[in-house]
Amino acid sequence: MRLEGILVTVNGKDADVEAVKLACDLAKKSKAKVHVVYVIEVKRSLPLDAVIESEVAKAEKALTRAEEIAADRDYEVETDLIQAREVGPAIVDEAMEREVDLILMGVTYKKSFGVFSLGRVIPYVLEGAPCRVLLCREPMS
Amino acid sequence: MHNDWQPKLGDKIVRRPRVKAHPLRRVLGIPGLFSTAYGDVGSSIYYALGLVALVALGATPIVLGIAGILFVFTALTYAEGTAMFPEAGGSASFARHGFNDLMGFISGWALMFGYIVTISISAYTIPSYLGYFWEPLKTSPIVHTGAAMGIVCILMMINVIGVRESSRLNFSLAILDISTQVLIIVLALLILFNPTVFWERITGYWPSTPNLIFGVAIAAIAFTGLETVSQMAEETRRPQIRAPRALVLMTIVVLVIFAGISVSAFSAMTPAELGSQWATDPVAGIAHNLSVAISPDELTKGFSEPAHQIVVTYILEGVRNLLPALVALLAATILFIATNAGLLGISRLAFSLGRFQLIPAELSRVHPRSKTPYIAIIVFTLIALALQMPGFFGPDVFANLGGLYAFGSMLSFAIAHLSVLALRIRKPDIPRPFKLGWNVKICQRDLPVTTIIGLLGTTAIWVVVLIMQPYSRWVGLAWMAFGFGMFFLFRRLRRVSPSQTDGSPSGITGSQL
Repeated sequence: MRLEGILVTVNGKDADVEAVKLACDLAKKSKAKVHVVYVIEVKRSLPLDAVIESEVAKAEKALTRAEEIAADRDYEVETDLIQAREVGPAIVDEAMEREVDLILMGVTYKKSFGVFSLGRVIPYVLEGAPCRVLLCREPMS
Repeated sequence: MHNDWQPKLGDKIVRRPRVKAHPLRRVLGIPGLFSTAYGDVGSSIYYALGLVALVALGATPIVLGIAGILFVFTALTYAEGTAMFPEAGGSASFARHGFNDLMGFISGWALMFGYIVTISISAYTIPSYLGYFWEPLKTSPIVHTGAAMGIVCILMMINVIGVRESSRLNFSLAILDISTQVLIIVLALLILFNPTVFWERITGYWPSTPNLIFGVAIAAIAFTGLETVSQMAEETRRPQIRAPRALVLMTIVVLVIFAGISVSAFSAMTPAELGSQWATDPVAGIAHNLSVAISPDELTKGFSEPAHQIVVTYILEGVRNLLPALVALLAATILFIATNAGLLGISRLAFSLGRFQLIPAELSRVHPRSKTPYIAIIVFTLIALALQMPGFFGPDVFANLGGLYAFGSMLSFAIAHLSVLALRIRKPDIPRPFKLGWNVKICQRDLPVTTIIGLLGTTAIWVVVLIMQPYSRWVGLAWMAFGFGMFFLFRRLRRVSPSQTDGSPSGITGSQL
């Protein structure tokens, strides 16, 4: 599988670490570009370009951590901070615009009412993404 | 990369500069913009028709027509302004660019008043329609007002929590609403319309001149929603092109539907009935009278084939039985969404005004967990509840709310017209992706005739409301006085001149095209 572009989505959780590492390892073989994005979801009661300081701070922290992880892997990544009404469509749209070959997403192990849940975003991306999607689920422990 | 995926309505992103600035990606197209705006404008017919008939009686179709012309001119002005400044803030944004922060504040504050009244009146109308299922909701002032206030409280909680809104649902409801109204219009024209009776109902119930003039002012409430398109423009793909197109499309659809519904109403009942028994749920009145008038045996007499007769009879019986319930449920749903749209509009507007230091930033503070401007939502919802409270004591609240809306909306529309004219004079060279035609040259500047007439018309209506409606005058002026006091005090504390224009919001780089 020859990759020219990989889109990694981060959300500030521990699963980001493995996702960024994996993206760097996969990208090294074909010298693919790695784009790391954090999507801030803006509720409709706010203008779309509203600055939510706490969210921006969280996003900056997550993206900085991604850059550090990539630097440890001796790889350079491009980071971006996006605001959108919904995360799933924003990721798919970003993937289409950047024409990436792979979307890589870290998955936190979580249960909802005792049942393992992928949440809202991952099923949306799996359904709508134009390219391959790789999920990297963190260990149970 | 071939893909069938289509962006969802409202899927636009904003890219925060991190490494370097990137252009914005806007995804909302004309259908999404139209359905959101239509949900706002189209919902108003469910109360505006009765409200106008309360005052204008037989002249209702005429005053709606006059208000419709003003609506067209105002929509055109908004088209030019929105294409120039596709950002949240609407007419407040035009005023800020055309004049200064003070004018931006006046327009924004008047607009906020309009939004608050829209919330009150939309929610107040819902129990009337649901009265089809349980009569006290319509007939008992205490139950009616209590239910309306309950609806507003529920929506306040929903918006403070930040429940996700479905744009697909909005679009589906807009289509269903237009289809139902078209069905009502077609049935009314086929079964009930009689030109002689129609003319008699206009001339026989002609109002007094003061009521006729006030009727034009009230009729403006039928055309709420222009601000919605303007505020949604920031989420629109190529807003300079699509926002004006959505405005024009919305204008055409709304005018056709409103004309048809008002003719249907006058075919179905007398203006006196419309302005009394069915004042708070006029479309339910049309559906009720249509349902009574549908006689399958009479209507199928012309069919020679028994099979055709049976099928058509079955369909007509279904329509007769279901139409009133369908209208009741649809109206309640559309009005619920319109009330919610009012809440969303006011919270976004409050945030925008706070961002440009036109109101205290505390009002636009975002809750750390729910990420919603909870203070603005709660404060303005409480004001909307306060406006509904007189409903416990009498039925005048409905007409009074109409007058209040006319006060706020006419003032902000007049400022929008004035701002677009000011921009033509003071900044003639800024790009105008949508430039109005039919211009006159005044002082070597091209000024659009529609905007000049719109300015004169909206100002005249505002003055009429001020003179003729004591309740609207004093409540409206008190609102503006409070706003001025807050603005000047706030600016003084921040040591900012009231007329200073801050080109960019404080601490924010702003969105890029």
